[in-house]
Amino acid sequence: MLLEVRDLHVEFHTRDGVAKAVNGVNYGVDAGETLAVLGESGSGKSVTAQTIMGILDVPPGRITAGEILFEGRDLLKLKEDERRKVRGAEMAMIFQDALSSLNPVLTVGDQLGEMFTVHRGMSRKDARAKAVELMDRVRIPAARERVKQYPHQFSGGMRQRIMIAMAMALEPKLIIADEPTTALDVTVQAQVMDLLAELQRELHMGLILITHDLGVVADVADKIAVMYAGRIVETAPVHDIYKAPAHPYTRGLLESIPRLDQKGQELYAIKGLPPNLTRIPPGCAFHPRCPMAQDVCRTDVPPLYDVTESDAERGSACHFWRECLHG
Amino acid sequence: MPDQEPYEPERAIAGTGMGGTMDLGASEAVTLEQPPGPDGADPRDKPRSLWSDAWHDLRRNPVFIISALVILFLIVISLWPSLIASGSPLKCDLAKAQEGSQAGHPFGFNGQGCDVYTRTVYGARTSVAVGILATLGVAVLGSVLGGLAGFFGGAGDAILSRITDVFFAIPVVLGGLVLLSVITSNTIWPVIGFIVLLGWPQISRIARGSVITAKQNDYVQAARALGASNSRLLLRHIAPNAVAPVIVVATIALGTYISLEATLSFLGVGLKPPSVSWGIDISSAAPYVRNAPHALLWPSGALAITVLAFIMLGDAVRDALDPKLR
Repeated sequence: MLLEVRDLHVEFHTRDGVAKAVNGVNYGVDAGETLAVLGESGSGKSVTAQTIMGILDVPPGRITAGEILFEGRDLLKLKEDERRKVRGAEMAMIFQDALSSLNPVLTVGDQLGEMFTVHRGMSRKDARAKAVELMDRVRIPAARERVKQYPHQFSGGMRQRIMIAMAMALEPKLIIADEPTTALDVTVQAQVMDLLAELQRELHMGLILITHDLGVVADVADKIAVMYAGRIVETAPVHDIYKAPAHPYTRGLLESIPRLDQKGQELYAIKGLPPNLTRIPPGCAFHPRCPMAQDVCRTDVPPLYDVTESDAERGSACHFWRECLHG
Repeated sequence: MPDQEPYEPERAIAGTGMGGTMDLGASEAVTLEQPPGPDGADPRDKPRSLWSDAWHDLRRNPVFIISALVILFLIVISLWPSLIASGSPLKCDLAKAQEGSQAGHPFGFNGQGCDVYTRTVYGARTSVAVGILATLGVAVLGSVLGGLAGFFGGAGDAILSRITDVFFAIPVVLGGLVLLSVITSNTIWPVIGFIVLLGWPQISRIARGSVITAKQNDYVQAARALGASNSRLLLRHIAPNAVAPVIVVATIALGTYISLEATLSFLGVGLKPPSVSWGIDISSAAPYVRNAPHALLWPSGALAITVLAFIMLGDAVRDALDPKLR
């Protein structure tokens, strides 16, 4: 396994108390594999990613338990300067909003070239040539001229391509993409996703795709981890989850996608709000919103049951996964 | 797959980070977007950075041109006063005390019979040197301390913030009277040192604030995620995005430092005779203002124009660097 997150706990100290953002997350991704992490805002998916990258702000954040094994090494035990050598070179991250993720006062060529001057000790001239090469690779037309331009001179899709080029620059083994297409037009979303998937295949990278868009997931992911209130509530190969979800939350997410065959009907929405992370409900965190909730859900935290039916591993953190899966 | 996002000139033309103005109402868009250049500015011509954008604005601002010319003139006569004044500011003839304008002495004579024109010209050197050196000192000390405090935060930041509070509580003139009166050296350095000592907290606070703002930008986080070190983040990604307010405040402060030097010299704790300073001349001419007003007016006028020029320059620079203020 390329990356394995084991029992990760992260909390934030806020004015209202301790917000438990990540409560025992386990997931892993292999080289060449795509894991989609799905969940609402505040479910802890981005915090987990930031912790893996080592860019969590501490304080206010605090990693209270867990291991992050990258090729067998526990990243949480590395010193900051060793960790820094991993970032960018061996794992890289793509952010949601490419305009704000690019420095407005530096040309894109400077920023792309920086990857090579910082990590590879290249001369500025060689780095510039590499930058043009990268821009060609992510199919930015007229790369030789546009390498001298500033981020605001590019359209949204082009900027996200530049972010992808920066992340790919040193051919890392793992890419974390935090909602890479959320800020883009629908037509451009598909292009950017295709590009990302294509480069992943070419470089045989592991990809963690963080998103709340189930449409994006279906096309590119191999497996899915659904997060709720800082825990993984369901994990499954991508096609199984669409066929038959094993957790009421996943089912709710799938049912709230607008569908053509239900035109004119009211769109389903999961009732209620995600919990306040300083006061996560006892038992199953989802029980106040769950249509299947019973007394046991209010008292006992469900473990991640092994719900494997075929050969691919599946897990669900619901006491009533059988009813959910077959109901 | 061919490119499906054609290059959009109207987006590229819209100034620094102002790409979003297209969604706004027409009237707002006009005020926010930079004026289109007279050359019809083909966006493909040359990509413009914040700085070249600012320079583009400054060159067309009459306030900037006038104040820059005045300052340039002041710097030239500070370096080579003999270009326009042939005599010595220390050559005085008591027999001519308080005499008015006459041939070869257009500004007349002061109470000691020294040529007011020559002394006014030579006085520029003190003012400009104190102003520029003190500003450099304040800017370097203040932005380094404030920048580091803002970037790293924590206990160092808290301590620095309390120290700046203490310095803000010191009344400038009173502090000058107390601290400078014990110093006997008659050079500009004690005055510069005093101004730096009292001036750095102002810049430090500005620098701290703008570093904290810049630090929260996504691109800093992104650069960190791609392996940039702290020093690289600070110097390459944060500093260029945080330096504008420091430059603006420092330029405006330069003018006030010049008047502060004159104030201290007027009070007798800054420079002392035989140094030449507008403050000294104003002080020595003040008792005779009824008999010889010219001896007071010329150095005061020169001081006022100099301070005004630097403050105007600071205003123009602020307008150019912060388009949101317009």
